[in-house]
Amino acid sequence: MSAPAIQISELKKSYDDVRALNGVNINIEQGQFFGLLGPNGAGKTTIINILTGLVLRESGMTKIMGKDTVKDYRFTRSQVGIAAQELSVDWFFPIEKLLYFQAGYYGISPKFAKAQIDQLLDRLGLSKKKNSRLRQLSGGMKRRFQIAKALVHKPNILILDEPTAGVDVELRHDLWQYLRDLHQEGTTILLTTHYIEEAELLCEKVAIIDEGKILKEGSPKALTRELGQSGITIQLSGDDDKLSSCLEDYSYTRQENRLHFSVEDPDSALPNIIKKISACDIHIQRVEASTSSLEDVFLSLTGKGINQ
Amino acid sequence: MNWIGLWTLIKREVGRFLSVYKQTILPGVISSGLYIVVFGFTLEQRISEINGVPYTLFILPGLIMMTTLTNATSNTASSMLQMKLLQQLPDLLTAPLSGFEISLAYIVGGALRGFINGLMVMLVGILLIDMPVENLIGTLGFIFLVSWAFASMGLLLGQIADTWDHLSTMQNFILTPLSFLGGIFYSIKMLPDWAQSISLFNPIYYMINGIRYTVLGVSDSAPATSFLMALAMTILFSTTAIFAMTSGKKIKQ
Repeated sequence: MSAPAIQISELKKSYDDVRALNGVNINIEQGQFFGLLGPNGAGKTTIINILTGLVLRESGMTKIMGKDTVKDYRFTRSQVGIAAQELSVDWFFPIEKLLYFQAGYYGISPKFAKAQIDQLLDRLGLSKKKNSRLRQLSGGMKRRFQIAKALVHKPNILILDEPTAGVDVELRHDLWQYLRDLHQEGTTILLTTHYIEEAELLCEKVAIIDEGKILKEGSPKALTRELGQSGITIQLSGDDDKLSSCLEDYSYTRQENRLHFSVEDPDSALPNIIKKISACDIHIQRVEASTSSLEDVFLSLTGKGINQ
Repeated sequence: MNWIGLWTLIKREVGRFLSVYKQTILPGVISSGLYIVVFGFTLEQRISEINGVPYTLFILPGLIMMTTLTNATSNTASSMLQMKLLQQLPDLLTAPLSGFEISLAYIVGGALRGFINGLMVMLVGILLIDMPVENLIGTLGFIFLVSWAFASMGLLLGQIADTWDHLSTMQNFILTPLSFLGGIFYSIKMLPDWAQSISLFNPIYYMINGIRYTVLGVSDSAPATSFLMALAMTILFSTTAIFAMTSGKKIKQ
C-alpha cells in the first residue's frame, strides 16, 4: 500500500501567545483532490507553510509521500509545487526567465525545463507575455503565472493556497478546469479556500478547520448529508384524511396542506414520496426540494458563516 | 548538494546586479574618481606625503577597499531584504535548497559585485594617477577576501532587517563610520595615542592597511596581522550568516 501523499499528525503551532494550530490531523491519499475549508485565520496557510518549510513546526509530525518534511526536506519539497496566496513581485527578469530560475532551484537544467515551460506558458495563456516583467501583467495573469511556477518541476502534489482569491469569474472557471485536468492526470491537489462553491465542485474530500482545529472531514456530499438541513416540501391541493395512512413510513411535519420531510438526500427520497402520495390518489400542487451546502455544514459546526 | 539549484541562484544574483549596472557598478567608479580629483588633488597641496607616499596615491587603496566592502554588503543585504519584502523568498525556501546553498549563492553574488567594483576603482587609479600595484595577485586576493567577508555580513544584515529603514540605519550608523575611521584618508599615526588605540579595534582598519600593503608596500599594521584579521572576519561573518540562514530564525516564523 502506498504512503499517503500528505500526512499530518498532532500538528501544533503558536505565534507568540496565539495558538494557530491545535493538534491538527489530516491524511491525504495519493491522487486525491482535497480541500481545506475555513475562514481567514483558521490555520490553513500555517499548515501549508509548515508542509513546505516556510514555517517551523512546534510539535507533531508532517510527512509527504511517507517522508518527514524536516529531515527529508530535499525529497519532500521536490514532490510539492506551491501556488501561494501572496503574489510575489520581481522587477528584474521576464516571466519566462523566472520560470527557468524556478526549475533550476529544483535541480532541472534549462535544457530539460524548456518543454514543460513552453507547455505551461501555452496552457495558461501566458506565451505572448513571456518577455514581460511581472509588474506588467494583470492580476489574473499574475495568478496564472503563480500556478505555472508551482508546476514547472512537474510535482506529484500541488498545493494551492486560495488560488482564485480576487480572480474574475471567467478565469476562476478556467482555473477550475485546469485543476480538474491535472487531477485527472494523477496529481494530488491540496486546495485551501473559503469559497464554498470551489470546494464543493472540485474536492473529493474536505476538512473543515476553525481556530486551528479540524472540526470535520469527509466528502462534501457525506458532510452535507450528515450535518446539512436538506428536505422536501410538498404542497397538497386540499386536505385529505387518507394522508396519514399513506405516509406512515415517513416522518414529516404538517402545516395545513403543507408537508415537510427532513431527509438526508432529497434526490433519492423524492420519487418514493411522490409515488406514495399519488398512489393514495392525493393531488400534489407543488414540490420543493432544498439541498444543503457545505456552508450549512460549516454553520452547524462553528455557529458562524465561513466569511465571518 | 543541489548543484544546479546553487548555480541557478548564483546566476540570478549576478544577473540581478548586472541588469542594473548603472546603480551597482558605475557609481563606485564615479565616486572614487571624484574622491581622487577633489580630495586627492586639493589636499595633496597641503599633505604632500604620508609614509613616503604621495597623498592621492595613499588614499587609493582605501578607496578600493571602501568601494569593495560597501558594494559587497549592500548587494546581499538589499537582495535578501527585497526577497523578503516582495514575497520572493518563499520561492527559495520551499525549493529543495539547503540554507548553506542559498547562503553560498548570495555570498558569491555579493562577493563578485564587491570584487568587480574594487577592480574598477583599481583601474581608475592606474589610469588617472598611474598607480603602481606592487603585488597584483595579493591585491586581487585581498579584494576578493574582503568582498566575501562583507557579502556575508550583508547577508546577515539582510536577514536581520525587517525594513529598508532598519537596513540603512545599520549601514549608515555602523558600516560607514567604521570605513571612514579605518584610515582611508589618513594614517592612524597622524592621530593622538588614544584614537590610535581605538582604531586597532576597528576590523576595517586592518583591511584598508592590508590592501595598502599589497598595492603600495606600506601600511600601518603588520601585513600578516591584516591578512589574519581579514581571514578571521571572513570566517566569522560567513559562518554567522550561514548559521542564521540554516536555522531560519529570522526568515521563517
